[in-house]
Amino acid sequence: MGRLASELRALLGEGKVVDDPLVVALYSRAPDGLEAEELPEAVVFPESAEDVSRLLAFAYRRGVPVYPQGSTSSLGGLALPSGGVVLSFERMDRIREVSVVDGVAVVEPGVRIEELNVELARYGYMFPIDPASAAAATVGGAINSGAGGMRGAKYGTMRDWVLGLQIVLPDERGTVMRIGCRTVKCRQGYDLVRLIVGSEGTLAVVTEAVLRIAPLPENVVVALAFYERLEDLVSAAVAIKEEGVQPLIMEFMDADTVDIVVKYRGAPVEARGHMLLVGVDVNREATGRVLRWLAGLLRRHGASRVYEARSMAEAEERGLLDVRRALFPAQVEYARRALGPGAQALLEDIAVPPSRLAEAVEGVLRVRDEYGLPMALGGHIGDGNLHPAIAYNPRDRRSVERAHAAFREIMRLAVRLGGTVSAEHGIGLLKREGLREELEALGASKALEIMRAIKRVFDPKNILNPGKVV
Amino acid sequence: MSALDQVLSLMAEYVERTGFPLPVPKGFQYRWAEPLGLPRRGRVYLYTGALYQLAPYVEALVEQLERVEERPGAGIVLRLARAVSRVVDLSKIAVRPDPARVEQVERVLRSVAGLLRAAGVEYAYLYEDDLYSGILLYDMGLDEAFERHARRVYARLRERGAEKVITVDPHTTRALRQVYPEYVPGFDLEVVSYLEVLDEALGAGRLRPSASLGLRAVIHDPCVYARFLGIVEQPRRLLRAAGVELAEPPRSRRMTYCCGGPAEAVLPALARRIAETRMGELAGVGDTVVTLCPICLVNLGRAARGRARVVDAAELLARAFGAG
Amino acid sequence: MPAAGLRERVLEEAGRCAYCGFCEAACPTLRHGPHRGYGPRGRVEIARRLLEGLSKPTGEAVASLFTCLLCGACRVKCPLGVDVPLVVRGARSLYLAGVLGGRVGARPRLRG
Ligand SMILES: Cc1cc2nc3c(=O)[nH]c(=O)nc-3n(C[C@H](O)[C@H](O)[C@H](O)COP(=O)(O)OP(=O)(O)OC[C@H]3O[C@@H](n4cnc5c(N)ncnc54)[C@H](O)[C@@H]3O)c2cc1C
Ligand code: SF4
Ligand code: SF4
Repeated sequence: MGRLASELRALLGEGKVVDDPLVVALYSRAPDGLEAEELPEAVVFPESAEDVSRLLAFAYRRGVPVYPQGSTSSLGGLALPSGGVVLSFERMDRIREVSVVDGVAVVEPGVRIEELNVELARYGYMFPIDPASAAAATVGGAINSGAGGMRGAKYGTMRDWVLGLQIVLPDERGTVMRIGCRTVKCRQGYDLVRLIVGSEGTLAVVTEAVLRIAPLPENVVVALAFYERLEDLVSAAVAIKEEGVQPLIMEFMDADTVDIVVKYRGAPVEARGHMLLVGVDVNREATGRVLRWLAGLLRRHGASRVYEARSMAEAEERGLLDVRRALFPAQVEYARRALGPGAQALLEDIAVPPSRLAEAVEGVLRVRDEYGLPMALGGHIGDGNLHPAIAYNPRDRRSVERAHAAFREIMRLAVRLGGTVSAEHGIGLLKREGLREELEALGASKALEIMRAIKRVFDPKNILNPGKVV
Repeated sequence: MSALDQVLSLMAEYVERTGFPLPVPKGFQYRWAEPLGLPRRGRVYLYTGALYQLAPYVEALVEQLERVEERPGAGIVLRLARAVSRVVDLSKIAVRPDPARVEQVERVLRSVAGLLRAAGVEYAYLYEDDLYSGILLYDMGLDEAFERHARRVYARLRERGAEKVITVDPHTTRALRQVYPEYVPGFDLEVVSYLEVLDEALGAGRLRPSASLGLRAVIHDPCVYARFLGIVEQPRRLLRAAGVELAEPPRSRRMTYCCGGPAEAVLPALARRIAETRMGELAGVGDTVVTLCPICLVNLGRAARGRARVVDAAELLARAFGAG
Repeated sequence: MPAAGLRERVLEEAGRCAYCGFCEAACPTLRHGPHRGYGPRGRVEIARRLLEGLSKPTGEAVASLFTCLLCGACRVKCPLGVDVPLVVRGARSLYLAGVLGGRVGARPRLRG
């Protein structure tokens, strides 16, 4: 047993520390094939803010790096440790309170978003940020990665839905404090809550969150359309917005990717061409009218095929969401067929103003062809967010280098089009260079200095998730 | 050798010597059938695999060992190993099952027998050859012991002239239908669950209810039926025909939630917690819970503590189809 | 000895896991266990590491494999359809046969 682990046991109690090497390895891998270069010495499972506070004070005194983790489903290496101690929130998974009157849910960081939504549904409410990984993703991880989701075009991202936080600082005393409010309106000086959202666990540890919640839409109509020509699909998406409708869901997949999905996962409908999946929330009485309008618009803009559903339940039953849902497994299987077992998909996450989407898609496909890399392309088209998935073999150096080179090209493309290198996944280990280039292009190199200074104020000894973001 | 290994080898040894994974009295597996006078020879056999009959003994053994060993947290395997090394011979641990539980599982089996008769199915019973399927050995990864046992069981079934067997629980059904063919060379037996047999008879009009139970119940799908064997709608159709108004828990059918039973052998406290979670869900929907598996019956039954009545589907069906 | 080809079959299936964690919320044992090894993602990864010879069995690894209910709930939720019960059962068998590098003492336990 390591010395550090025994000290931690003495500090926190026997049951809250694990240093079995095989278990520690479970906290050292991510879904995009990234792995920790050096295994952490132990994993700590706090059960309260008090535990976190004690750990951080100890880590501060001893200069031990601490890596907060939710479900390690983040992409780009945000949660990967390198030695040190992993701080896992698996045991802080309670929903403390749901208040419909105040429109908030108070939760511990380890609650998974899907579980939160199951609970909220009992009140007729939802938490609108629904990353495709909602089955795994925790509230703490979503806050700190600044997650978004399918409903992003309408509801934005995490930063719009976190009202208040309890945080613990990596300082001498492991200071515990509350920031933000329990109300939507809140002018508490500089907005520290939003600073923590998306900070990737590098500034403070979140031990509780006050989240804003929204009523479940009365009904949602769904249309799944396929287009021969990309321009037609983009013009349909633009037209929907021009008519003043803000869809709940607007998902895109390019034609080759649709083929990949059909080939590796199958599809319950005839799927060929570029895919556009649109969901619009409606009053029940308006169902028929809105669906007719939506399907008509999609067809007028040249859709070769349109499938309609009068409700989410009907869409589920007829498998209209399955094509989109199969994107991730199809990407992974495609990677493995192309490059052999052990291959993974490196998931990019750029966003461009929706008006420049067609250029972005063409640019991404050009990178794919230039590098000759197996790549699948999908995204949340409503907010201009694209997720090219580059197949690579994490154990093959050359494959890793080529994938990273293509990754960089795509980030540059986003910056050129006035977009951003990361819409919702975060900077982590893979996009620090991209972040620098993006800020330079904005003439905001000084912003990096400010960020570093902020990091020093919160984490003077650089022990909290070191090596990420800045 | 660690405690876990030790207990697993003991279990294997026990099956090797007696055919059953723990100490049981001779003939315990066919006592239920004695008053029925079922034929002894045929081509179609009722094969219980003794799992219903074993359930009260497993329950009692776990409880006894939990009482013997005061140290909380230590797994049953540790306790069992300690108990075993103390008394050396496992057969010296007298397992005293709860007589009410024994009565209950025997009633379930008699119900199945009656239902098959009511559906006009001709079948014989195996009595002393109604051997345990060995599925626990397989699940625990004791492949060698399982293979030897499975071959013996199969040989015995063939000696009795079996061409088709009717099973009564999900684990035995899975063992014979999906696992035996991989371990027993030349395996050639048709394996059907009594639920499939009855459902078919119902559809064909050979089985008709003589009474309507007029009762509301929550159905708990066993994992193995729902996810490994696809037996989901059959029990529902039968129960509805019996006049049971079925309520579905939040997690049902393919998304059903385990009763926790399979953890009993390794960590009973874990089994309890899971049963508690599931019971909470079920009791939230209705006060009668229908199960279809002996392990669920015992585990949920114990977790119910007055919140709900846990009954086996066969018992309800028998009442409605005049097979009691 | 476990059936011929079991090792390859289990390793292939374990290797299909993408480590996304979508399966975890469905697992009855995870929420009561002391760590991720008491859930499907952890069990598959532990099996993979043992089968690839990256580690020797440890007490926690054995506890992880033997506390699985083989209930299959995880498999329904897995986007890749990884057959977790097949991996876990197969790994148990290989471990007991001693082909994963010896046996160790295990202490299955609840969290806390
Ligand atoms: C198939 C797939 C689809 C995805 N789809 C989406 C999508 O649609 N939208 C999207 O935004 N993301 C998506 N993601 C990425 C990822 O799932 C999300 O970023 C998710 O919110 C991460 O949650 P987590 O619990 O896994 O966090 P982790 O990966 O464990 O952590 C993420 C970051 O948060 C920090 N952190 C975690 N908990 C705390 C805490 N309590 N205090 C301080 N810091 C903490 C970590 O240090 C790390 O920097 C997807 C991932 C996969 C594999
Ligand atoms: S099969 Fe095992 S790992 Fe999968 S959900 Fe059931 S207990 Fe969890
Ligand atoms: S859901 Fe499937 S791929 Fe994802 S971690 Fe679980 S087993 Fe692996």
